[in-house]
Amino acid sequence: MTDNRVEEKVALPTEESRNQSRRAFLKGTAAVAGGVLFTKAASADYDPAKAVEPYKGKEELTEVLQDGPWRKRLGFGVRKYPYGVPTPEVSYIQRRTLEWLTPDSMASITMTPLQHLHGIITPNGLHFERFHGGAPEISAKDHRLVIHGLVERPLIFTVDDLKRFPSISRIHFIECPANGAMEWKGVQLNSVQWTHGMMSCLEYTGVRLSDLLKEAGVKLDKARWVIPEGADASGMSRSIPMEIAMDDCFVAYAQNGEPLRREQGYPIRLVVPGCEANMWVKYLRRIKVTDVPLQHREETSKYTELMPDGTAQRFSWYMEPNSVITYPSPDFRMQGPGKYYVRGLAWSGRGKVAHVDVSFDGGRNWHEARFTSPVLDKAWTRFEIEWDWDGSEAFLMSRVTDETGYVQPPMPQMRSVEGTNNVYHRTAMVTWRVHAWNSKNGGLIENVQY
Amino acid sequence: MFNTKKTLVAAAVAATFAAGSALAMSSNSGENTTAASEKINGKWAANYKEIIKAHDGKYLDREVMDKILGDDVNSLQAKLDPNNPYSFEVDDAIDGGPHGNAQCKVPKAFVEVWESAEKNMKADYVAKGFGTPIAESALKVWDINVDGDGNGFPKVDKPMTVEKGGTVFVQFCGMCHGEFGEGAKGYLPLAVDEDLVTVDFTDPAPMKTIGNYWPYATTIFDYNRRAMPFWSPNTPAIGDAGYYGITAYLIQANAIPLDDEGTELEDDDLATPQVIMKANKYMQNQGNFFCDHRPITHNKRCMKDCPDYLVGDGAGDIHNYRRARTLPDGTLQYNVNERLHEAAPGVGHKGF
Ligand code: HEC
Repeated sequence: MTDNRVEEKVALPTEESRNQSRRAFLKGTAAVAGGVLFTKAASADYDPAKAVEPYKGKEELTEVLQDGPWRKRLGFGVRKYPYGVPTPEVSYIQRRTLEWLTPDSMASITMTPLQHLHGIITPNGLHFERFHGGAPEISAKDHRLVIHGLVERPLIFTVDDLKRFPSISRIHFIECPANGAMEWKGVQLNSVQWTHGMMSCLEYTGVRLSDLLKEAGVKLDKARWVIPEGADASGMSRSIPMEIAMDDCFVAYAQNGEPLRREQGYPIRLVVPGCEANMWVKYLRRIKVTDVPLQHREETSKYTELMPDGTAQRFSWYMEPNSVITYPSPDFRMQGPGKYYVRGLAWSGRGKVAHVDVSFDGGRNWHEARFTSPVLDKAWTRFEIEWDWDGSEAFLMSRVTDETGYVQPPMPQMRSVEGTNNVYHRTAMVTWRVHAWNSKNGGLIENVQY
Repeated sequence: MFNTKKTLVAAAVAATFAAGSALAMSSNSGENTTAASEKINGKWAANYKEIIKAHDGKYLDREVMDKILGDDVNSLQAKLDPNNPYSFEVDDAIDGGPHGNAQCKVPKAFVEVWESAEKNMKADYVAKGFGTPIAESALKVWDINVDGDGNGFPKVDKPMTVEKGGTVFVQFCGMCHGEFGEGAKGYLPLAVDEDLVTVDFTDPAPMKTIGNYWPYATTIFDYNRRAMPFWSPNTPAIGDAGYYGITAYLIQANAIPLDDEGTELEDDDLATPQVIMKANKYMQNQGNFFCDHRPITHNKRCMKDCPDYLVGDGAGDIHNYRRARTLPDGTLQYNVNERLHEAAPGVGHKGF
């Protein structure tokens, strides 16, 4: 599989392969069924003959199935890969970047291949990368965290010190506020990796920031802001209001059960659930408690949103509710009319996802999807909905409503208020146009924008 | 001289909102955009907490916001009033000191955040003792913050002239940012005077640089010393005096005035913290920033036969869409041809 291959995966296996795999499956279960399953009384609603009705009239495969070579010889032994790697066959599932976005790779970004992910957890190796000065190779034993400023007792911690504290583990999405930025003026990109891939969702483990601040005796009568800072070349910094710091932030040393990756801030990073990923300072080495914000470049020149009238929004901490259909999406191609399970992700920086609705007609009518994953605070939520595609042109959209009652807006509405030069927080809906089956590019799935 | 130009912002934004509110109005007949001004001065529902709680904490629900703010929830103007529970802003004249270091806050209506933070603030805590005390003086190399009020400037014994600062800039920065800050090799320009107002959505995005966009001059020093030159940040070869020099040069290159008369830096002026603090009060764009006012839309969750303004192009047409094939100027766009099998696959997927 080459690096520059264009993904043209099918939305569903072809009719033949579907039948073939189904047949193999049925043959397999038949044996079990006779021995175990049917000894219990079958449910009154379930009629086996009715269940297989859709197969009526379909040609049956008669060729005898043969064993593959892997059935005839041993596979590889344990510890061939002391740290396992993905199956080579899926090595096309990679973080990728667009070479025209940034002039070098040390202040750049890669995107997570959302179209190939399942469930709500992003594997560590596919977590998107956003560097402002490259990823430093820091040794945990040389790393320190200092808490100072408006505190009773400035303190310094080793990473081992931090691991002694009471720990918490939380699953949260992490999203660059520039996610979707390339789509403000119109559509540019035909992959959900490009349109929404500046985000991931992981389980983080660490120490509550409120504990650490109190450990140093934070002076809450005067302290209004905490200013975290990284130990890397960019010295990344942001100003975080005390309410957010004391709400649910934590200092993480692990992601998905293992130590943080260097790309994600090894040995420690800040987790600011629901807020711009730029605030989740990596390689965290210092937290200064102050009464005024820093006005760092990353909260003035960047990460502020220019409006059409020349004014600009700043301190845009929370990521708005957002959603996207990941399957079928432009990386796939429909293989003919039939039943499809439309799947996607929804998330909200302000809490839990309450509803996801899907439209097949450009937003005129909506159908509530069901959740196929746990519904967690400030985390991805998987949704799915059945769709009988009749082969005609369709316009697929998803719309999230979160527990605060906020309803995701369509793009023309967001554009009419925010203009097209915001760069950040483009959180309106996107639209996938499914080309009619009998048209020139039948089954093509295209990113279009209203 | 510093003023937040809030009135200006409010007026400008009210104009912007004509389009947005028109959309909202079609869903909410009888809504009047001028209602906002009547609501200012503390006429918001004071019992907003109870209202929010009575609705399961749904503080961004259209109905809840209508109850708290009246039916003018689309008014950004209203959100600039600190008494509005949905305002992200507090009065920066009180909290920010003489230079208006902006104080944005989490809106009071985000009841959950405030309650959770308060609980964690109040909860008793006895230190575990796992850390090690450290003196503030031991942090002098690490503590490089220079905030919007000018706290944290290092002392400089031998300040250099602005002209010398320019020489240092050309030597260490010019190859990436251009000798006059005009940008080079795809790296960011640092001094381009473009108008930030756009009339048409398809106009190219204005370039935002120090002079026309940055709200604080202190940030120039803080950021340059913290992170530049890109390949060797915070370099002793430049030193604090050098970073002051570069900062003053960039203030000059961006034509930032130092007083009401519009006096600008001369080549033989000395690059000192005082010079930066003077410029800090005259940053041309400072008053045009306002705290995040999202959410900007307050839709109801419509399921069937939704009104035209929520459908397709915003006028009910689902076939009036834009495609990725070309930019407004006609240039070919990312991988559509490949996907249509009109070109060999591969273009656009090459990363580094
Ligand atoms: C190797 C090229 C390079 C050199 C040399 C360099 N810079 Fe930069 N500069 C960058 C990059 C890349 C960024 C963006 C970094 C990021 O995205 O985090 C940047 C960003 C900046 C910014 C922020 C611009 C904005 O609009 O936010 C300033 C100011 C700046 N540089 C000043 C300097 C100064 C002063 C020097 C010399 C001391 C310097 N740079 C040298 C590459 C360079």
